[in-house]
Amino acid sequence: MSGLFALFQDLPTLLWSGLVSGCLYGLGALGLVMVFKSSRVVNFAHGNLAGLAAFLVYGFSSGVLLNLSWGSAVALSLGLTCLVGVLAYAVIAPLVFKSDLTSTIATLGIGLILQGTIQIVFGAEIVSLELPIPSFGFGVGGLRITAYDLTVLAVTILMIGSLFFVIERTKLGIAFRAVCSNPFASRVCGLNLRLVHLFSWVSGAVLGLVAALLIVPTTFLSSTTVASFMLTAFTAAVVGGFSSLPGAAVGGILVGVAMNLFSFYVSPEFMNTFLLGVIMLTLNFFPDGLLEKAVGGRV
Amino acid sequence: MAIIHAEAAPETRGALVASGINLSFGGIDVLKGVDLDLRPGLVTGLIGPNGAGKTSLFNCLTGLYHPNRGRIALGDTALDVLSPARRAGLGMVRSFQHMALSPDLTLLENVMTGLTLSRRSGWGSAFLPMPRGRAETQDARRRAMAALDELGIAGAADLAPPELPPGTQRLGEIARALVGGPKVLLLDEPAAGLNAVETRDLTRALRRVMHPALIMVVVEHDMDLIMQLCDQIYVLNFGKVIACGSPEAVQADPEVLRVYLGAGDE
Amino acid sequence: MAVSELVHPEGAIRSPARAVPDLRKWLAALVVAVLAVLPMLSGSFLLYSLSLCFANAIAVLSVSVLVRYGGEVSIGHSFFVALGAYTVAVMEKHLGLGLWISLPVALLMGFAAGLLFAVPSRRMSGIYLAVASMALALSLPELLIHMERWTGGFEGLYISRDLLPGVAKAGQRYYFALAALILVCLAMAHFRGSRQGMALLLARAHPRAAEAFGITRSWARISVFALSATLASLSGAVVAFASSTVSPNSFTLWSGIFYLVGSVVSLQGTSLLAALVGGGIITLVPQYLAGAGDYVPILYGSALLIVTLLANSGSGLRRLLPGKGA
Ligand SMILES: Nc1ncnc2c1ncn2[C@@H]1O[C@H](COP(=O)(O)OP(=O)(O)OP(=O)(O)O)[C@@H](O)[C@H]1O
Ligand SMILES: [Mg+2]
Repeated sequence: MSGLFALFQDLPTLLWSGLVSGCLYGLGALGLVMVFKSSRVVNFAHGNLAGLAAFLVYGFSSGVLLNLSWGSAVALSLGLTCLVGVLAYAVIAPLVFKSDLTSTIATLGIGLILQGTIQIVFGAEIVSLELPIPSFGFGVGGLRITAYDLTVLAVTILMIGSLFFVIERTKLGIAFRAVCSNPFASRVCGLNLRLVHLFSWVSGAVLGLVAALLIVPTTFLSSTTVASFMLTAFTAAVVGGFSSLPGAAVGGILVGVAMNLFSFYVSPEFMNTFLLGVIMLTLNFFPDGLLEKAVGGRV
Repeated sequence: MAIIHAEAAPETRGALVASGINLSFGGIDVLKGVDLDLRPGLVTGLIGPNGAGKTSLFNCLTGLYHPNRGRIALGDTALDVLSPARRAGLGMVRSFQHMALSPDLTLLENVMTGLTLSRRSGWGSAFLPMPRGRAETQDARRRAMAALDELGIAGAADLAPPELPPGTQRLGEIARALVGGPKVLLLDEPAAGLNAVETRDLTRALRRVMHPALIMVVVEHDMDLIMQLCDQIYVLNFGKVIACGSPEAVQADPEVLRVYLGAGDE
Repeated sequence: MAVSELVHPEGAIRSPARAVPDLRKWLAALVVAVLAVLPMLSGSFLLYSLSLCFANAIAVLSVSVLVRYGGEVSIGHSFFVALGAYTVAVMEKHLGLGLWISLPVALLMGFAAGLLFAVPSRRMSGIYLAVASMALALSLPELLIHMERWTGGFEGLYISRDLLPGVAKAGQRYYFALAALILVCLAMAHFRGSRQGMALLLARAHPRAAEAFGITRSWARISVFALSATLASLSGAVVAFASSTVSPNSFTLWSGIFYLVGSVVSLQGTSLLAALVGGGIITLVPQYLAGAGDYVPILYGSALLIVTLLANSGSGLRRLLPGKGA
């Protein structure tokens, strides 16, 4: 009996921390989905760009490259990351809409180049990168909530909120939605396809940067942690149906919680294998994502 | 609507019969209660303005689309639940309005893919030069060559489709459909992209390959070809059969005249 | 169809290529002859590198088969390569069996794993397959490291049994790898003209047309994947034998991506020369540019981009040229 109790004693903590990390996977997945929806490109360079962004913040704030305050380092990195995102899009722009195969190979190429850049500039070091937030925490009914958790939630809500504001309320957002639902018709209507693509690529880069900055404090930053983060974001996107923005956000949270439960109750060592299983099962039984019915595919 | 046919009673066994076919996409009705009765030994023309639903009807017959209502049977076999591949196994083949030859295969090899279902060679002979597999490949090659020859394009056998003019590619598709000795041959705009001479040759070739056990259906905008080739004609407009019967009867039908004059005489 | 532009740039160079098939044949024969006599002339390190190069060429070829006949891309073929390699190593270590028995078993394992992966994914579109293959590649090291009892964990395993006892080790490794590569290329050349090969090519270009001739999509997906995985597994067995060691380090996501790089750079060719180019690039570049190790990802990434963009602009150019016929 006490065994059973012990089994569930940790459940609230697991769910809560799963929710927190899931928000970040959701942000990562959102970037993938925005790019995919508007340009039909599965961006395999997404994780590498996010990794580069986090390394830039580290480089600018730690004295490796510059010795800036955390805030200026983030601002500078944000600018550079967006620039790289624009460049990446410029390179593969001729391949957009060509075929899955072509664009997949091209984004893998970009990912390799970014990866190589990280290795050359920062070496194979493992670094830690903290957020400048006070370290306080409080308990709510056996649940410990830290400043980090609150920061993640606040930032996630802020990011998703502003994204949805842009998409729902601005001209660019309307163009984005039009391009997503029918790229060819919208080109005929004189919408600027390239501008919409740039919007989604830059948003993807920003979302990636934010997610990477927030996730690094819980682990560490090395040129290889990126791949695992990327796989998680991909899984979240698949669970959410790959072309639904709300799906990506919810998918991220589901994956975050599921990973926490799996690592606690089953084994922390087979995380990627677990994600492989999630991807295969989802694609086989819910090819349009788990949330197709619940959330709907629009937006 | 009664199916009237003037000429002597053709073979009724083994007919391809579709009744009450309804098909809609997102609330838009593409086919509205289409009935077809296609007898072996007859060439049927399926005509109608652009967007009338001719290709969609072919897609229903071959199993690429699933009608919302209605049934389709070939002889005693109900086709409704069979996959396109299973229908192909029953001897139903087609050509495509939008050319569907593989650019990686030569024309001859493309035609050989029409024999896939009748070939038995296993995976062993796919990788190793085994005598049986070899003999079978030789045989397939010979039959494919004969089909190309029949349509007068044997000279293009070793070229890849992208190197060929559209007319030759079309004939290649027809050769691929013919090579397996089909029971039902559905041709979607076989003369599109062909010049007048090629069209005449095609009409002759189709006459030559016609035999009493074959059901041939031709969708075509070229009225000369239809009139020369077909024993009966169905006219489709906005997803409905508005007339059917012998070429002469259909030509004289006021409704058909109205549709065709309204839609721009072709 | 746009896929074919990249996948099969030979469409573009087809006619000139056919004009010189004899030349190609002679070149291939010449290369085989040179490779066959090389061991008598060169040092053992070169032989060792070349044996690995042959083994990797088979892996590259397995990816090329998937791209060319399936129109799909996988970045997780390191999984199937590792499966073959570990089958050979584990069977020697735990059962004391040599390559004569473990090689066929490795092939079967690759085939079975390919089926296991392809059957649930038979209806996935290409992008999902790439994502799933990435997960496959990332899960592999975990599995290898944590099934330590069988796989030797981080350390990996050694392979020491000979194929032919009494024959010099370097020599038999080299010739075994070379023979395997040549046989695979011959088999693939034959496959191109087979019923199955042509059916797959049609299914890749026009799945619906293929279906109308009895070639179903799931058959095509499953067959091409099983074939590709079997070849990858064979390559793993050759890698294990040629390098006499296996460890999780050799089978990461990066290796999976590098096989794809080799395949793209060799223009998805399945000929001996194409496979050698692909295998050579991914084996010899890191070995001989060891000093420039950090530049290798950039080099490979640029190669992917350049080949893809060129193939694309090539097809664009072709469209601008005055068409023939008509
Ligand atoms: N897969 C589909 N999804 C949505 N609508 C479709 C689909 N296929 C066909 N339609 C619609 O069905 C209608 C009939 O199309 P269909 O291609 O059958 O016409 P058709 O008679 O073959 O015309 P054409 O002479 O131009 O070839 C068209 O309005 C078309 O837009
Ligand atoms: Mg049509």
